Amino acid sequence: MENPLSIEPLFHLGPVPVTAPVVVTWVIMAVLAALAWATTRRLTLRPGKAQTVLELMVTTIDAQVADTMRRDPAPFRALIGTIFLFVLAANWSSLIPGVEPPTAHVETDAALALIVFAATIAYGIRARGMSGYLATFAEPSWVMIPLNVIEQITRTFSLIVRLFGNVMSGVFVVGIVLSLAGLLVPIPLMALDLLTGAVQAYIFAVLATVFIGAAVGETRDPAANDRKDPSDD
Amino acid sequence: MTDNLVEIVSILAAALAVGMGAIGPALGEGRAVAAAMDAIARQPEAAGTISRTLFVGLAMIETMAIYTLVIALLVLFANPFV
Amino acid sequence: MSIDWWTLGLQTVNALVLIWILARFLFRPVSRILTERQEAAHAELDAAQAARAEAEAAREAAKAETASLAATRSDALARAQAEAAEERDRLITDARAEAATLRDSAGHELARERDRQRHALSQEAGELAADIAARLMARLPETTRVAGFTEGLAEAVAGLPEATRARIGSEGPVILRAVRPLEPAESAELSAALARVLGTAPALTVETDPALIAGLELETPHAIVRNHLRADLDRIRAELTHD
Repeated sequence: MENPLSIEPLFHLGPVPVTAPVVVTWVIMAVLAALAWATTRRLTLRPGKAQTVLELMVTTIDAQVADTMRRDPAPFRALIGTIFLFVLAANWSSLIPGVEPPTAHVETDAALALIVFAATIAYGIRARGMSGYLATFAEPSWVMIPLNVIEQITRTFSLIVRLFGNVMSGVFVVGIVLSLAGLLVPIPLMALDLLTGAVQAYIFAVLATVFIGAAVGETRDPAANDRKDPSDD
Repeated sequence: MTDNLVEIVSILAAALAVGMGAIGPALGEGRAVAAAMDAIARQPEAAGTISRTLFVGLAMIETMAIYTLVIALLVLFANPFV
Repeated sequence: MSIDWWTLGLQTVNALVLIWILARFLFRPVSRILTERQEAAHAELDAAQAARAEAEAAREAAKAETASLAATRSDALARAQAEAAEERDRLITDARAEAATLRDSAGHELARERDRQRHALSQEAGELAADIAARLMARLPETTRVAGFTEGLAEAVAGLPEATRARIGSEGPVILRAVRPLEPAESAELSAALARVLGTAPALTVETDPALIAGLELETPHAIVRNHLRADLDRIRAELTHD
């Protein structure tokens, strides 16, 4: 069986080896950009069907972010929304025959998680200042500093592995079943794959929101304390 | 036999890892689903919120099993000792 | 496990580019249109609220107008009613007063008329009675018209107070009125009767007066003693009239 963990470059762009996930990502980017451009070209105050769907999507993302962070979602809307849309599109790209989702390779997930990690630090510093952000590592006391630093790394790592493992295992299982019984049998597993892909996209986006929200700090809203932090898995 | 002892042990380790690593998440998912059913039975009007939270929670718990699967695959395909 | 660092870098760049693209072409326009719609809705709501407030104010004004109109009307009505009541009272009072004066004057007129009639009647009755008495007396013998009254005159003189009786005859002549000239016998009898009562017989000047019908009348400067039918009839008529 082919090693699912390693990838071979399809072609070289100058000195840069270009692999299959990168190509698929480019296609996804092109499709998303074209869709976004086509649907937002003529926005009106009286929305049509496509605009209604878009607005519903944006409003839902806003509501989720605001619900989790207890803050104005405007600065985080693009990052969180793009992460969700891209992960969802990447996960569901496995429906197209011959296409392997980019998220089934650890590099894509690592790239996304690194972006989230960098965004966490950037938003944290912007919201609290450098010293204020560093001071959050000493909470609740200085003894916790190593643990907090390790937590930053492990939670990013778990973010990578969770998405990678779920999508890759789905692809892997479908591949195994396909090699055992070709026709129709993998369909339930592919359906489960779709569900898993959607849920994982949602979870990735929610976790990114939670991490950034924890970095920028809670606003003085007592209701925010009711919410459990789903990051400690 | 002794030539590929590491490979045999790796396969055994991968099988054990997946098998035993699936026990905990299975129990956890069972408890979660049972609790969610109980909650929906008590409050049918909150079924939407509960099932959404349940799916997310199940995915979280399932991630544990996925971790062991990743380890197993690492052992099988990216074994540093082979 | 091997990580392709080139792929990792390319994917990171890809993701960043995608974030920029979607932010530029998807999220910003959509959120802008959402904000615009929200503002438009707020403007509409404000306008609607203003319009409603205006309508409310207009309705309030109309209500106030109606209320003031109603108040004016009820005022006018009450005033008219009061005036009407006053007028009616005045009319009633006037009518009553008029009726009372009318009734009073009618009553007075009636009473006067009745008195007048009664007077006339009693006058007539007196005349009739005198007439009747004269006719009846005419049937009696001539003597009775004087002689029958001699004793009565004497008794009447005797009924006078002592002082009056004493002065009869001492202060001038006594006038005796009779219905006809007295016979000598009758004069003697009368003088005897008076002498018996007075002690002395006064000098009598006899006059005749047919109006007496029957009887005698003795007149002194201080007293008049009447004993004749005319006086009786007059007394009776006076008593009748007094009732």
